[in-house]
Amino acid sequence: MRVAYYKGCLASLSAKELDSATQALAPKVGLELVELESVTCCGAGDIHEAEPDYYLHLNARILAYAAAEGVDTLLTVCNVCTLNLRQANFILLGDSDVRARVNENLVSIGVPAYERDVDVRHLLWEIAEGEGYEKLKAAAHRGLKGLKIAPFYGCQILRPSRIQGFEDPDRPWSLERIIEACGGEAIDYPAKIKCCGFPIIQAREETALGELIQPIEQAVEAGADAMVTPCPLCHLSLDAWQSKLKAETGRDFKMPILHLSQLVGVAAGLQESELRFKRHVVSVKPMLEKIEV
Amino acid sequence: MQVGLKVWRYNARTGERELAEYEVEAPEEATLLDVLDIVKDKHDGTLAYRKSCRMMICGSCGMRMDGAAVLACKTRMYDVAQAGHVPVISAMGNLPIVKDLVVDMEPFWHKFMSVDPFLRPGYDEPPGGRENLIRQERMNVIHKESLCINCGCCVSECNAMESDPRFLGPQALAKAMRFVGDPRDGHKIERLDALNSEHGIWECTRCYFCNERCPKGVDPRDAIAKLGAESIKEGIDGDMGAKHAKWFVVSAKTTGWLRETELVPKTQGLVAAIKQTRFALDLAKKGKVPPPVPPHVAKNVRQARQLHDLLQQQGVNGYAGIVQGEHALGKLAHGHVSGETLEEIYDRPGAFPRPYIEEAEEAVTS
Repeated sequence: MRVAYYKGCLASLSAKELDSATQALAPKVGLELVELESVTCCGAGDIHEAEPDYYLHLNARILAYAAAEGVDTLLTVCNVCTLNLRQANFILLGDSDVRARVNENLVSIGVPAYERDVDVRHLLWEIAEGEGYEKLKAAAHRGLKGLKIAPFYGCQILRPSRIQGFEDPDRPWSLERIIEACGGEAIDYPAKIKCCGFPIIQAREETALGELIQPIEQAVEAGADAMVTPCPLCHLSLDAWQSKLKAETGRDFKMPILHLSQLVGVAAGLQESELRFKRHVVSVKPMLEKIEV
Repeated sequence: MQVGLKVWRYNARTGERELAEYEVEAPEEATLLDVLDIVKDKHDGTLAYRKSCRMMICGSCGMRMDGAAVLACKTRMYDVAQAGHVPVISAMGNLPIVKDLVVDMEPFWHKFMSVDPFLRPGYDEPPGGRENLIRQERMNVIHKESLCINCGCCVSECNAMESDPRFLGPQALAKAMRFVGDPRDGHKIERLDALNSEHGIWECTRCYFCNERCPKGVDPRDAIAKLGAESIKEGIDGDMGAKHAKWFVVSAKTTGWLRETELVPKTQGLVAAIKQTRFALDLAKKGKVPPPVPPHVAKNVRQARQLHDLLQQQGVNGYAGIVQGEHALGKLAHGHVSGETLEEIYDRPGAFPRPYIEEAEEAVTS
């Protein structure tokens, strides 16, 4: 399936490993990625809060460029991008007056109007069911050999469910299903649907760390070999801020954190040059050694 | 119908907790509150819970069912009972428990009162004793916030408050927006100043649990975003959270993408950022601190700049810029590949069950 690919800021910058793993994985799960060039940041919830009208227009512009590629799906790899784009789409698709005004503004500066609807979908949803899931099962030949993986959803891929709505926000199943299709064992723990603290990690670090420690601590207690997340912001806080937890609490969790594309990529036998685990702060080696990659 | 409940009983004096199980006969239309009434009337008079109106107006009966805050009087038990599920009922989170399902609302009311939850009029009386008329669209801005019944379901689940109990929280902030956005109120700036304090607007972690749980559709997180937008519009932007938000705007209109490396000094200031040097160096070793020069610039970025200039002229700023989707009520269809309903999808092998199916716990761990 041909889809427009919106990689967002992090996969373009500090989480390049997410981009390379996703690009390498895509053909194996039946996705042909059309990378969008003329697009900007979705605003990450921050522009929505600082200048909401600008947020709506920037996201409409992204949707318009995706529609101009003639595709039905705009593929995302980040919870926050997914929510921002779907929220804008929700408004634009549901309110013709707002859409007419936004389109008039877009056209006046030379952006194509957002006429044909596109659906914003996270990679997670594409490979958790249907054709993507069948292809994933076939591609994951190498397998995870029973590794215990803690799924960490984060917030904005589940809530608000009125806008996201792919699965029950209190009992999600998609990551577990993928982990098991890859030959891993999905472990369960209460904080898998809670916040990693990232949105306030700079403005209110102490509060954010109090949130961050919960999922990591619980995953360790449940015996996880690694955690997997569909969101590069969750990844950044879980991976990079673990050292701050160590400084604050004296506990060194050493919990490897994988992007969704990397976890499936390992099972599908992708190379280190594509997975780029060297870019992680917490070493993934102990986990990889267990399955002798 | 037969309805089973497991209730976390709690004795604050002794600190003892006990999971008590009840099974009662209830009419098919019974709500969770009705079932608790039957338990109390016929089985165990010592069970404690709050209630008053029984019709989703008073906000007394907030509690947790299977870990999620609900209004007991709004929660029908038919489907639960039919599925043979015995839900776990417990007190709300983030508030101290007095007994069983009754929490001490004192911290809640304290925060509520701290935002001056009443109109402080600041408009000119029209001459001749006429009514002060306000256009409907001005009131639409605070329509959702006005629906709050102070039940505490949002507070129960607030992730930021769980980490820092001093956080003002979704209920008090939504209530604050109800008056900040009221065109008759004369103290907007004063209110916004107070809400920009250490434990105000910018401590919200955007977990969206409040929107998910609110039984009245208040969407407190959206109210908090409105307060943030209005603060920035009014130039009340000294908080690190506001600076953080504004840097995304600067980034979008200059390079299109987030200027990630500059975000820390722009948010925390240079001195605080320098204190983070060691941490930053550790990240830099892993390529997590992309060099700001040369900037990563999006193609056609001038459009993002033009768009910004254009919208500045149009002046739809602050809370007025937040489209709440009143006209977009409904749900984005997901178009699941096979055309199955969500229920069918959850029933497939390998899928994790919906609530109310007893094997849930086992299925997840096995």
